[in-house]
Amino acid sequence: MTKTFIIAAMAATLGLSTAATAADLVFTSWGGTTQDAQKTAWADPFTSESGINVLQDGPTDYGKLKAMVEAGSVTWDVVDVEGDYAVQAGKAGLLEKLDFSVIDKSKLDPRFLTDYSVGSFYYSFVIGCNKDAVSACPKTWADLFDTAKFPGKRTFYKWSAPGVIEAALLADGVAPEKLYPLDLDRAFKKLDTIKADIIWWTGGAQSQQLLASAEAPFGSFWNGRLTALAETGVTVETSWEQNITAADALVVPKGTKNKEAAMKFIAAATSADSQANMAINTGYAPINLDSSAIMDEKLRMTLPDMQSASQINADMDYWAANRDAIGERWYAWQAK
Amino acid sequence: MALLTERDNTTAMGKIRPVRSKNFALTVPALLLLVVFFILPVLSLLLRSVMEPEPGLGNYQALLGSTTYLKIFLNTFSVSALVTVVTLAIGFPVAWALAIMPSRWASIVFAILLLSMWTNLLTRTYAWMVLLQRTGVINKTLMGLGLISEPLPLVNNLVGVTIGMTYIMLPFIILPLYGVIRKIDPAILQAAALCGATRWQALTRVLIPLATPGMVSGALMVFVMSLGYFVTPALLGGTANMMLAELVAQFVQSLVNWGMGGAAALVLLVVTLTLYAIQLKLFGTARMEGR
Amino acid sequence: MLLSFDRLGGWKWILLGITGLTAAFLILPIVFIAALSFGSSQWLIFPPPAWTLKWYEAFFADPRWLEAAWTSFSIAAMVTVLSVLIGLVASFGLVRGSFIGKEGLRALFLTPMILPVVVLAVALYAFFLRIGLNGTVTGFVIAHLVVALPFSILSITNALEGFDKSIEDAAVLCGASPLEAKLRITLPSISHGLFSAAVFSFLTSWDEVVLAIFMASPTLQTLPVKIWATLRQDLTPVIAAASTLLIVITIALMLLVALLRKGLKS
Repeated sequence: MTKTFIIAAMAATLGLSTAATAADLVFTSWGGTTQDAQKTAWADPFTSESGINVLQDGPTDYGKLKAMVEAGSVTWDVVDVEGDYAVQAGKAGLLEKLDFSVIDKSKLDPRFLTDYSVGSFYYSFVIGCNKDAVSACPKTWADLFDTAKFPGKRTFYKWSAPGVIEAALLADGVAPEKLYPLDLDRAFKKLDTIKADIIWWTGGAQSQQLLASAEAPFGSFWNGRLTALAETGVTVETSWEQNITAADALVVPKGTKNKEAAMKFIAAATSADSQANMAINTGYAPINLDSSAIMDEKLRMTLPDMQSASQINADMDYWAANRDAIGERWYAWQAK
Repeated sequence: MALLTERDNTTAMGKIRPVRSKNFALTVPALLLLVVFFILPVLSLLLRSVMEPEPGLGNYQALLGSTTYLKIFLNTFSVSALVTVVTLAIGFPVAWALAIMPSRWASIVFAILLLSMWTNLLTRTYAWMVLLQRTGVINKTLMGLGLISEPLPLVNNLVGVTIGMTYIMLPFIILPLYGVIRKIDPAILQAAALCGATRWQALTRVLIPLATPGMVSGALMVFVMSLGYFVTPALLGGTANMMLAELVAQFVQSLVNWGMGGAAALVLLVVTLTLYAIQLKLFGTARMEGR
Repeated sequence: MLLSFDRLGGWKWILLGITGLTAAFLILPIVFIAALSFGSSQWLIFPPPAWTLKWYEAFFADPRWLEAAWTSFSIAAMVTVLSVLIGLVASFGLVRGSFIGKEGLRALFLTPMILPVVVLAVALYAFFLRIGLNGTVTGFVIAHLVVALPFSILSITNALEGFDKSIEDAAVLCGASPLEAKLRITLPSISHGLFSAAVFSFLTSWDEVVLAIFMASPTLQTLPVKIWATLRQDLTPVIAAASTLLIVITIALMLLVALLRKGLKS
């Protein structure tokens, strides 16, 4: 009797299970305000135009992505990933080739374009400082690595990704054009000098909280997060000196059941309008070359586009090739 | 099913009545659930540790041959040990006090204990994150009182992990110990007093030895549970305080390395199961109260 | 003397002091979270510049929070029912049965309780990927059932061992069928065990985060997953508001449990 009851209960739960129907598209990104902006700027207009419902999932998880593709049960149709991961995953056969007859690549920033991925948005790692909390703000990476001149805690991005290693080398005096291949020994040696003073941030919101509460009065940030923080009334100083650009990318996991819809979604998300709206909401830069022309002048001035003078582009191909090795060394160094 | 015998084949009337046993069958639903959704998945994960990326023990060599990973093992043990000691040091006097204090006061402490236990784990950890930070309430209060001039580093380090985990583990040691001390016959301690034992002697020679089985059993539980903790160290610890459970998750999630993840999981599993076996050997299953 | 409160002398105050401090330590984060939820600072600055209810407004304005709460509740309820039923049946087998390997089986049943959840989470995740159970209520219920069942078995076997079987036999002797005797005599007698099995099963599922992080999907998130994601991504004080509401629910539940216990005893 009990057994039949259990079976009945199981059947009841099965009936309650929800799964994306074929008409829906699942878009996966990093959550938080960035994904909210992606929903408003890309997904909502796309849905009202195409009638395809877009479900939001997150956060992006490369383990999950790989496991899905290998198991042949892909539930993510379009995924926002880091640029270097997109290159690597494309080579590893985890991604569908993009259909450039649907996606117009002529208007897309070629820096962030591969057979398997297009840019999603791009951003710069810049030096941010809470002016109310300290007497002087660091202006260069060398300043940020100088604990004598700028004592106190500083915050950096926790995960292994383009940005911090480059900053360490630039702080150590490496010329921008000689940055790649990265001299990891030298970078970690430089990082050792400030390790005790680093508080790591794991996500954009935490970086804002650390800066606003002066838990770490300065550090390296995504530029968009500083723009947003300044709007809440915190006195933020941003130094664009040698800002390091990196991009997120949009990819389609191999074996998705909604390939056609996924391509349409990417085409819509990378259109000039969508990209401009995204930039307006987040302070990140558009990867569609036509977007900035339709944006407000004042806003355009806060984008990394305007800071190309001393800008450094992280080398995605180098990172894609060395991502795993750097990652292991990075986490091992952190845990030391 | 041929193995089955029926213990209770004597009815109340005392007549022997051969009954075909169904009692093993009763455990089958639970057993099935555990085999399909527990044992097999865990075994297949462990299998991946010797199959990926290529068959062999490469993952284990990489794991046990690296000073970084060894440091994480060591760290896992020392954090768990530290948490166990601190929990026990606080838990014993509290359990003792609870066992003898007027029941009205005790019920207030119990209510607080249960409330903290029932409050969402993440909520508690989150509260500690904010309380302990450099610009947090505790540092601000201490500085306001003039006790310190510089904020103390209380979070993103071992201190933060210890506070956060002790907080979670305290009920698990206080509740069982309370039960043990309640069961001690006060007459034994009176006898000790009659024989001229001082308070201190009565404590160290009578009360503590009598409570020791409870303490060892509780401490083992806390230690084993601490070994596998993931959320609290990840949120309150620094990168240098990484523990094994977080390493497993990192291998799988950030580095997409199921082989290494499986290997790290096996190490964690072996240690845990060994301690579990010791616990069972010493105390049986009945003593494992609480969670 | 050591076990008599009045005759402890000076030690009494030491013990009371430690207990008082511990109680304060235990209550501090809970009170603090409640205070934080009314603070106006988005960046968790405390004491806040002003007091506000806006985080509660944000909580109730966002259907995702309420959905997550409902998901958590319904999963926990299903887990509770299944865990108590399977646990009850298995406990009868363990207590009344005698077969080879019984003690081993009992130890096996309790293993998920001490196994690091992350190991189970990763293993089940890989397995569920293959059979398509990730992101389904069924997947959640199964995963939580595996970790909740040991608490059920533990509570119910304890209660059953303390129950004198001759009472049940007496009922059979007086003409009740064996099943009837179990339902009408044994079950009421072990109701405290069933009750704690239910409470522990519910809490295990309700509070579980590690398995849930791996099982969650776009359409199906439990409250702890939502809090975890928000902690990592937004860090907004809405978490504090949500937590405070949870604490209020917990207190209400505790009062209910206390009342029920009283009712059961009498």
